[in-house]
Order: sequence, then structure tokens, then C-alpha cells
Amino acid sequence: MQDKNKLTGTPISRIDGIAKVTGKAAYSTDYPVKDLAYAVLFKSTIAAGTILNIDTSVAEKAPGVLAVITHKNAPKLNVNGGLRGGSLLQSPEVEFFGQHIGIVVAETFEQARHASHLISVDYDKKEPKVDFETLAPNAVLPKEKDKADASRGDAKAALSSAAYKVEETYSTPIEHHHPLEPHATIAEWNGDRVTLYNSSQIVNGAQTSAANTLNIKPEQVRIVTPYIGGGFGSKGGQWANLVLTAIAAKQVNRPVKLALTRQQMVNSVGLRQQNLQKVSLAATQDGKLTALAHEITTHAAIKSEFVEPCGDCSKIMYDVPNSLITYRVVPMNVILPTYTRGPGKSTGSFALESAMDELAHKLKMDPIELRIKNEPARDPSNGKPWSSRKAVECLQVGAKAFGWEKRKAEPGQNLQGNYLIGYGVAAGTYPAHQRPTSAVVKLKRTGNEVTATIELAAADLGTGTYTILTQTAADALDLPLTNVTVVIGDSDLPPAAGAVGSVGAASYANAVNDACQKITDELITRSGKQFFARPTASQMMLSEKITEYKTRVDAKPLESAEAYSAHSFNANFAEVAVNRFTGMVRVNRFLAVTGAGTILNPKTARSQIIGGNVWGIGMALTEESILDPRLGNFVTRSFADYHVPSNLDIGDMDAIFIREDDQKANKMGIKGIGEVGIVGVAAAVANAIFNATGKRVRELPITPDKLI
Amino acid sequence: MRPFVYNRASDPTTALNMLSGKPNAKFLAGGTNLLDLMKEDVERPAELVDISGLALTTIKTITSGPNQGGVSIGGLGKNTDAANHPLIRQQYPLLTQAILAGASGQIRNMATNGGNLLQRTRCPYFYEVSMPCNKREPGTGCGALEGINRLHAIFGWSEKCVAVYPSDMAVALAALDAIVKVRNVGGQERAIAFADFHRLPGDTPHQDTNLAPGELITAIELPPSKLADKAYYLKVRDRASYAFALLSVAVGLEMAGNRITQVRIAMGGVAHKPWRALTAEKMLVGKEATEANVRLAAEAEMAAAKPLEHNKFKVELGKRSIVLALQTALNGVG
Ligand SMILES: Cc1cc2nc3c(=O)[nH]c(=O)nc-3n(C[C@H](O)[C@H](O)[C@H](O)COP(=O)(O)OP(=O)(O)OC[C@H]3O[C@@H](n4cnc5c(N)ncnc54)[C@H](O)[C@@H]3O)c2cc1C
Repeated sequence: MQDKNKLTGTPISRIDGIAKVTGKAAYSTDYPVKDLAYAVLFKSTIAAGTILNIDTSVAEKAPGVLAVITHKNAPKLNVNGGLRGGSLLQSPEVEFFGQHIGIVVAETFEQARHASHLISVDYDKKEPKVDFETLAPNAVLPKEKDKADASRGDAKAALSSAAYKVEETYSTPIEHHHPLEPHATIAEWNGDRVTLYNSSQIVNGAQTSAANTLNIKPEQVRIVTPYIGGGFGSKGGQWANLVLTAIAAKQVNRPVKLALTRQQMVNSVGLRQQNLQKVSLAATQDGKLTALAHEITTHAAIKSEFVEPCGDCSKIMYDVPNSLITYRVVPMNVILPTYTRGPGKSTGSFALESAMDELAHKLKMDPIELRIKNEPARDPSNGKPWSSRKAVECLQVGAKAFGWEKRKAEPGQNLQGNYLIGYGVAAGTYPAHQRPTSAVVKLKRTGNEVTATIELAAADLGTGTYTILTQTAADALDLPLTNVTVVIGDSDLPPAAGAVGSVGAASYANAVNDACQKITDELITRSGKQFFARPTASQMMLSEKITEYKTRVDAKPLESAEAYSAHSFNANFAEVAVNRFTGMVRVNRFLAVTGAGTILNPKTARSQIIGGNVWGIGMALTEESILDPRLGNFVTRSFADYHVPSNLDIGDMDAIFIREDDQKANKMGIKGIGEVGIVGVAAAVANAIFNATGKRVRELPITPDKLI
Repeated sequence: MRPFVYNRASDPTTALNMLSGKPNAKFLAGGTNLLDLMKEDVERPAELVDISGLALTTIKTITSGPNQGGVSIGGLGKNTDAANHPLIRQQYPLLTQAILAGASGQIRNMATNGGNLLQRTRCPYFYEVSMPCNKREPGTGCGALEGINRLHAIFGWSEKCVAVYPSDMAVALAALDAIVKVRNVGGQERAIAFADFHRLPGDTPHQDTNLAPGELITAIELPPSKLADKAYYLKVRDRASYAFALLSVAVGLEMAGNRITQVRIAMGGVAHKPWRALTAEKMLVGKEATEANVRLAAEAEMAAAKPLEHNKFKVELGKRSIVLALQTALNGVG
């Protein structure tokens, strides 16, 4: 696929880069809508109970205030309209600390915020359920009972008779997505139609869930989201703030802007839940796995449930005859957990790949060798052949590039000055899917120049969607990049998959490519001529002197792909330096080697992988949202408390892609790179820390206090 | 943010007059702390007097008085300028290191020296207005005492408050025995010894310092120091930059051969004020700078610690950090 004469496969810079660094790219709150009013949400200050009374009288009289909306005067909304969560002000019940209990709308943001401080609330308080550690032993089956247990063979029996085994529990904390752009909306009604400028990873999903919740038709809602300042899953399914902006605008009969503050983000748009994962591995003396049990306890919200699939990697990573994966859930007074970059895989791989490292240590075997020894020929969970799987190559290529042979097998042996140096490795995987997506291609000829416009309701999270689609269309139409305009991020455009679950590139690029092939076919047919060599669409526009032509496809995943198991695979290598006095850790070097099918743009792809790696390093070392187990509030409410890694924490980073032609997964062989970059990273770092210090930390994040 | 009156002062006298008799008015310097707290509704001043334009920014050698030969730093000078001034870099490298270990380049460019000393605690219960906090709202209780207190005090706390004071700069100033120069509306100047500037919480945790209402910090004076050659600021934190200290240690030594003739040790992140490790200092003066002596002193200092539920690690970390900081001051970065 990566042909020398093609634009796809070349590392061109992001075509939206200049617009972004010059401030021309308009994000949700940047639209110059006239006559704007500003909304601010106010929150519950208890984690469980009922609102007895809200006194809004002082706030209503504060300068500039246009409206105060609470459950007492909010319009009736459909609470099952398809939003992920958050409060729609339909009842006085409080289910978590920080739940939205009302909106103030005012002439200015400052006036609205000021008035929001003038509201007093009486509650009937209940004892909140927020102490996960105490509640975990009483976890129950998930609501989707068939998801509770997946068993193959008899893992427990194999474990009890094993020559070598590891049985350990790993814990990962609550994390937040915290995209740089907090969630924000401008709502503007025009008669019975509302335009919502709103950061949305799933454009059509935002449209239908907003419409359903507002009890209006999808055609009455338009979502505009050409640029998104990151999302990582929190802007996938939409949250109450989207619809609350719409009802506020309706109420004051003016366009309204509502932007969440960083502090509000912790209680408004989901989170990655806390997990306790017990992993049991059994193996023969020569390192052949005989059993793998992965038993997961996690939490959900009080009424709704989302269970991160922490066992997903364990299902397919290794060839093991006896496997058991179980999920148990604790309902808690927190906002609903949701999809968070590499859901389940990033956290699950920490447990699995730490356990593999522990087993290798017990067996006195190189951890790479142990993994290669257990490489499965087929997907062990369903027996399907792999569409492609380059897990072993990732490990081998990475080992060579990283200088793995320099690792000392015995931990705690590499002291340089005050720093203990260690190497760690861990593997990872993420599923590859294509989802239905429609696209329109419009060709236009002006004299001898042909230009193309590509339209689809895709989303660009800041990852490079514009760029790869421009490359794809330019190749397929044989036009220079500058003659192709990609228009996305608008629900008026043909419906497309969401930029979620790493399906964006495969879904969008295949649809755009299909549309460009189709328009070429149509132009050829229309000309009534026969060609020895297939002409390009632009040649046809010129030779037939057509001024405008367009077509549309509704692209679907390959039916034949069903027969295969399609996943990206990676291997992660970390070198850490641990200060032997203070326990502070620096990641000196990090390398991710990835087999993810066709790489449309090595530059944006590398950024994606490195971005995922940085979050994985944050997961390993710094990131944690801490709940007060008595009151249910987060004590980590801003970037001063919620630590993402800084430049000084990480030295050299590199990403290598293994060449992979996988037309079994989809026509263009694209497997997706949005999430695989975070999978296996935390384990690689934790394993390196063990190699450096001899300390096995099974509880993330590995902050200095855990190493002294 | 609540509505407030904003005035700008062009000279110290006007500034002091503008604030005079208004208990609910505050000076605004760099604004990097005060404005954040106002947005969160923690601080609720009715009036701000902007002093960021005052000419109190010079850094100069003190030519007379008890601290002659030392250096004076203007109260309204920026943290970045203080850190990088040649007089400071050469004579008080400990202060340079401590300032540069704090916040970020952008914040240090805005933050002033006086404002830095008066920055308020980062205790999350102080910041979240719906939580109990005696410092923010006397009488409401301490949310952290039995809550999440990993970042909190191990020395000098009271049942009323277990918060720590967050400044890095101040830890170095404590080690350097700095003097805070303040002026009141009557034009009287007073000098506050650094050890007396910040307070322990006791029964009045809402009072961070001994600055009287309406007083303006005009300068910080550094007495002449012989610690420049052997000084080190060690900051232990959850990430390598842009995080407040879990614990920090500022040390300075004067040596005669391998014998310690003078030593200063101050700790940050352990108390409601910069914590001078006087026990350890006393044990080390006159002693050989051996690892054993240093360790004994560190252990003796930390023996008095009273950790809370989540910060027990600070006791061991304190010992190790004192040892590492002294080792680094003596031998350079390892
Ligand atoms: C994200 C973040 C991270 C940070 N990290 C660190 C860190 O790691 N280490 C660290 O030490 N600090 C850190 N800081 C804090 C920073 O150092 C302080 O905010 C700053 O020093 C305050 O100075 P300012 O001039 O902006 O004060 P302001 O916010 O203007 O004022 C603070 C207080 O001092 C009073 N005041 C100011 N000047 C005077 C004066 N001359 N006389 C009398 N009263 C006065 C004001 O009335 C106000 O009450 C961080 C801050 C932020 C926002």
C-alpha cells in the first residue's frame, strides 16, 4: 500500500496546523455568534441525597442575571435520550458530588459565575457510597450478566497444579480525560431548529442524543464541530451539559455559551474507573502458559453502569489452554465511568503485562522470550485466524533498536551515581474495526484546474483526520494536496462513524477512497468511452470539459473481515532512572514498536503513538484522581493536583512502525493507532522500575512515596 | 468571581492609603495566586489595589545597617528577576535554585517576591468552598485532618489545621535567615525576622503570617552569607517540574576542611511554615561531614515528626532528603 508515488504514507505536516497556531481554527466557544448570553452550572455539594430546597432568589436579582434553571423549572426532557450521563435537572435526587443542580444564565460569564455563588441549597443527606476499597469485597455481577464470566478450559484446576505461578492483585486509580479544551457548547435556536457548536467525537451521535433528549427530531439539531481540542473518550457520548446549554438558550431566547471549568470537568464528563485486577498465571518450567485468570473488580455509577473491559488483552494476547475472565462491579456515588483512551486495554495490560514480567522473573527467563514462547497462532478466544499479527516482530525489532541486551537480568544491579537504572518491556494490543461511513466527493473544474471537496460528518480530535483524508483523496483523484478540501465536523454532512475506538482512520479513509473510486468510475461510464489505462477523475473532468460533478458512497466494512480477528499489536520498551534516595522516577528512554496496518501519515501517526505513550507514562507515574472516601469529592481538581507528565519526566521517545499489509481487515489495510499507543505502556514502566530497584509496585501511580 | 472595585496605585504611599481602613481590600501583585482564589470564591475581596506598578523592584547590595554587605530584593520584583540577578546567583545560589524549582517560567515571570511569601496553602479542602476548612472559614473544622492528607504537615500542625505552606522560595529564605521589610500606612517601617514571618496554625489557622492588616512588603533582605559555595535546594515531588513539593530541603554549609563550621537546613512541604531543622543543625556544627554524622542528625530531626494517615512516608523521605541535600551541597550533583 505504501507506494513511492503516493501521498499516503508520506510524513506531511498537518494541513490544519497553521490555522491552529495562528488562532484561525474556531473551536466550539470561538464562534462569533451575536447577542450571546453566558451560562454557568452549579453543583451539588453532597454525594448522595435529595435536594429539599434551592433558594435562587438572591441569584436571580444579581446584576446581569437572565435566568436560573433548576429541577423546579427545567423543561421536561427525555432522560433516556442517549446522552452518556450527567444530570438533566429533572429531579431533586443527588447521585454524586458535583452533580449539576442548576444553571445560571447572565449577560457575562463573570456575572453568571458570581450569581452561581449566591445560591443556597438544603439537602436531605444520605451516606454516600464512595469508598471503593471498603465496598470492593461486596461487588456484584454486572448488569449485563452474560459479560460477567468468560471461561475456557479450567483455569482454577490448572492453577492449583501448576509448577510455577503468579497470583497478584494490581490496582489502578480513577483517571480523568482532561483534554486541553474543556467541554464547551454554544447553542443557537432558529425557530424550532437548534445549532449546537459543541466538541463532539461522534457528530451524528451528538445530534441524535441531543434531539432525543430535547424531544425533537434529529433534523432539528445541527452539530458543528470542525475542530476538537482533544477528547480521549469524554467527548464520545455526550453529557448533560450539551442539552443544558440548549434549554438555557431556549429559556432566555438568546444564543448561550456554556464552557466547563477545569474544576467542573472532574464531575461532569465521565472518568476512567478505579480497578482491582487479580491476575493468576500458571506455567510449566520452560515457560509455557497453562492458565490465565483475570478477575476484575471495578465500580460504576449508582444507577447506570459502564465496565471497562480490563480482560480484553488477556483474552487474545497469549496461547493458553485454560482461561478465566470475570467482572464484578460496585455501584458508587460518582459520575458514570466511560470510555477513556484504550478503555480496559491500557489498565488491563498493566495487570497482565506486570504479571508476565513477574512470571519471567520467577522462571529466570527473559520476559521477551516468555512472550514469544506463548505467541498464539490464532485468536485463542474465538479460534479465528488473525488478519495480521506482528506482535513477535514488534518485540524483536524493539529489542534490537532499544539495546535490550544491555539490560541486567538481576534487578537492582545497575547503579549510576544516585540513580538506579532499569529496563522494562510490555506488549499491547487494540482491536481494529471499520464502521459504516458515508462520504460525498464534489469535483469542480475551472479552466484547466480541477479541485475536489470531500464531505463527511467525521471528527478530527486534533489527531490528523483532515490531513490523512486530504492525502487519501489526493491519491485517489490524482490531484495535488492543495486542490483537495476536506469538510468535516458538521451533522449536515453525510453521516460518518465517530472518532472513537480507533475506528476513525479506517472508517473515514476507506469511505473517502471508495467515493473517489466511484466518482472516477461514474465519469468514465458517463463519457461512454473505452480506455486502455484507467484515467483519473481529474483527467476525465478535463477531457470531458465537465464543470461540476459529485457523487456519494455509503461505505460498509468488508463482510469477509468477519472471518478474521483484526487487532493492532505493539511492544513497549522503557528505560528508567530511579533516585535511590527520593524515589523520583525519570523515564530516560521510551520506544514503542507498533504493527497497525497501513500508516497513512508517519508523522501524525508517530505523534499519536507518542501521545499515547506519554499518557501511559502518566498512568504509570503521576496520574490519579483522588476521592475523599467520606465525602465523595475529588481533592484533585486542577492541573496543579492532577499531574500529567512534564517534559522533564521523559527523555527520548521514539516510535517504530512494522510494515504490515492487511487487506483482510479492510480494503486499505488500516488498523488504527489512536489507542494502541497507550496499551502496555504503564506495565513497561513498572517493569523497568522493578528491574531498576527490585521493588514491584502493583498500585498505580508509582509516586516517590511508593519507592522509598 | 464576585464584583470588586479595582484601583491602581503608582507609589507605595498611595497604595497604603488606598488600603487603609478597609479590612476587605487586598493588594494585587502578580495575581497568580489571588486571582485563582477569587475565581474559586475562596478569597472574596471587595476591593483590589493593584501594586504591580510600584517601583519596589530593585536588587542591590545593602550598604549600611546590620545587614551591610548583604543584598536587598524589592518586594514587587518578579521571581524570575530575583532568581537570575548576578548578585543572587553569585552570593545566594540557594535562593536561585529554590525559586527556579517553583511553578513554571510563565508563572515566575508574573509572580512577585512579596506575593510569593503570601501565597496561600494548596490544601484541597481550602480550595473547595463546600468543604470544611478553618483556614478559609474559621469554625468549620479541618477537612484534611481525617481526610486525604498525603500532602500535609508532619510538624507543628494543630487539630485546627494540618495544611502546609507551599512556597519554595521561602524555604531558601528561611535557611538564609532573611528579613522581611514592611511598611504601614503611617510610613513606619519594620523588619520581621524570617522565622517570625509565617505562623504555625495553632487556634488561628486563618492567619498565615504576622504581617499586620494593611502592611506592605517593600523588600526582602538577605544578610551577608558564607554559604554560597556549598548550597543546594532539593525538591522532591510527584513529577520533575511544575508540581508543589512533597518535601523539600534547602541546605547551606560552611566548611573548615572536612569540619562543618556553619550549617543551615530548612524544609518545605512539612509544616505551616518553612521548617528550620534546628536539631539537625545543632548536631552537625563542629562535626566532620561524614555520612554517619549526617544520617544521625537527619534521624534526630525527623524523630519529632507527627505524621498523619497518608503522609507517613514523609518521615523517611525527610531523613533521606536531608542526607541527599547535604551530600549534594558538599559533593555536587550525583
Ligand atoms: C499552577 C501554579 C503552580 C505553582 N507552583 C509553585 C511551586 O511549585 N512553588 C512555589 O513556590 N510557588 C508555586 N506557585 C505559586 C506562585 O509562586 C505564587 O502564586 C506567586 O509567587 C504569588 O505571587 P503574586 O505576585 O502573583 O501574588 P498575588 O497573587 O498577586 O498575591 C498573593 C497575596 O499576596 C498579597 N501581596 C502581594 N504582594 C504584596 C506586598 N508587596 N505586600 C503585601 N501583600 C502583598 C496579595 O494581597 C495576596 O493576598 C504556583 C502557582 C501556580 C498558579
